[in-house]
Amino acid sequence: MSNKSFLFADAPRTMLTGFYWAFVIYLLGPLLLMFAMSFKDATFIAFPISNWTLDWYAKVVQDQQFLSAFVYSLFIAFATTCFATIIGVWISMLISAEGIWGKALLFALACLPAVVPGMISAISLRIFVSVLDMQTGTAAIIMGHTVHAVPFVVIMVLTRLRTMPANLVDAARDLGADSFIAFCRVTLPFLGPALVGGMIFCALTSIDDFVRTFFLGGYRPTLPMLIFAKVQGGMSPEINAMATLVVIVTAAVGLYAERLTRRSRIS
Amino acid sequence: MQPIVHFDNVTKTYGAVPAVDKLDLEIEAGKFVTLLGPSGCGKSTTLRMLGGFETPTSGRIILSGKDVTSLPPNRRNVNIVFQDYALFPHMTVGKNIAFGLELKGMASDRIHRRVTELLELVRLEGFSDRMPAQLSGGQRQRVALMRALAPDPDVLLLDEPLSALDAKLRQQMQIELKSIQERTGKTFIFVTHDQEEALTMSDKIVIMNNGRIEQMGDPHTLYRRPESRFVANFIGETNFFPGKVLEIAGDVAVIDADGDRLRARTAARKPGVGDTVDLAVRPEAIVCSAVKPAGDNAIEGELVQEIFKGNHSSLTIRLPQGRIVHALVDPLKSDGFAPGPIWLSFDETHAVALVA
Repeated sequence: MSNKSFLFADAPRTMLTGFYWAFVIYLLGPLLLMFAMSFKDATFIAFPISNWTLDWYAKVVQDQQFLSAFVYSLFIAFATTCFATIIGVWISMLISAEGIWGKALLFALACLPAVVPGMISAISLRIFVSVLDMQTGTAAIIMGHTVHAVPFVVIMVLTRLRTMPANLVDAARDLGADSFIAFCRVTLPFLGPALVGGMIFCALTSIDDFVRTFFLGGYRPTLPMLIFAKVQGGMSPEINAMATLVVIVTAAVGLYAERLTRRSRIS
Repeated sequence: MQPIVHFDNVTKTYGAVPAVDKLDLEIEAGKFVTLLGPSGCGKSTTLRMLGGFETPTSGRIILSGKDVTSLPPNRRNVNIVFQDYALFPHMTVGKNIAFGLELKGMASDRIHRRVTELLELVRLEGFSDRMPAQLSGGQRQRVALMRALAPDPDVLLLDEPLSALDAKLRQQMQIELKSIQERTGKTFIFVTHDQEEALTMSDKIVIMNNGRIEQMGDPHTLYRRPESRFVANFIGETNFFPGKVLEIAGDVAVIDADGDRLRARTAARKPGVGDTVDLAVRPEAIVCSAVKPAGDNAIEGELVQEIFKGNHSSLTIRLPQGRIVHALVDPLKSDGFAPGPIWLSFDETHAVALVA
């Protein structure tokens, strides 16, 4: 009797554990499938894998289209990160400064792009670009990505700034620093970990972005656009290999950023 | 001699409320001066105005003969030790102390020598490469002090720097601060709400209340000759006997306090005959006896409690109208008192009549 009621009491926990593993499989299954298929010596997706091969990877690395799209994506991510960091830090300093009117509004505006659906944001940016009579292409893409990346920087920098003792900048000023030197030598180093984390997230959102790039892009494809174009011509193991490479690199960078920001929260 | 700091009719208002109200204060060079008062009395605002973090609403601040009223903090030769130390967490102890020297453009070998010398002054040799997070509270305090002293300021400002330390460390630091001040010969302006800190370290105490100076002077004078009920109450412990002035004879007022005829010296603000005054007497000035003493200033009461503390006894006495009086007596001069009737007296020079 007692044994039975014990089992019964434990049921919710057993169920939770079950759901947890179901979720893990759901989350990792497709990735693992893609991962496995990228090593398969045949062009159709099916088990079992009789012959393992690295040919698809060799093909990807030699693919001029892929390399060009990859470099282009990196360039756009780099430019986006630079602009978004400067704008994001500047907005954060404004929001945390004393005696500025409308801080809540400024914060809401800065973070809006993070919650506006990508599609809506992409269409509005496209309209904006054509009203300005601007060419679609690299500059437009960078602008679109920057708008979307700024909230990440603002949120991370503001979180860090809130933990900064109010007197630090006063102390620097007191010891002879003007406000610019105090910013460079005290505020920026203090923000350091949050900045690096924010920059990595900026780069990742930029590399990952498809919708905005699709609306704002010119003739040269970024990596997601290239993959999209290739998928339309049918799935091939080469795409699996390409995607696997992207997953590994972004996951590694993302985890590193997470670690950095966690450390900054502790210290 | 020209004062090193001069507040000339300085007022600072926040909204309609004056935090500092028409402050006139001159501070002599090389002294340890304490601004003492309850929170909200304007002492910290005064310090921050001198540091350059607040701008006076009106009036002028003169530092070393130069009007600095509207100069930013980085262009005044004063440094602050902040309440929470505000050490730069990403810099080593040495870098923290060197910060102000680098900004002055000092050569790096001279900086190195100065940092070493300052660390020696507070017995922190070998701590140069530690990070602030690796230091104890007292060590951080000393680093903050040396960082502020490093650029050789005209005046060193200290904003309640001991309040984060525990009681024992605080007492040690009081003595250390005073000795550093004496060795360096710098002008220290120290802000605190702790009267004991003020008495221990200061050459001069400025007592502030509601944005104004209540009284200033050396610790002895302030303790012995308070000029107002606020000061008598804020520094040390005081018994008050309210009453009416019967007559004034020179520097002595004769007062009727609930039927007792008491004599006390008059404060600088002399009361007139018929005025209501508070007669203030320190607990240690009260003499207790079992029989009625001769002369004036004798009050009969009832001993409620005697607490023997070794070097003194603390007596709680209730007067007939219910007033409680606190007296400290020397156990070597009495064998203790029995509960019940007791006589209090005091020398008229130890009591002061304050206009209420």
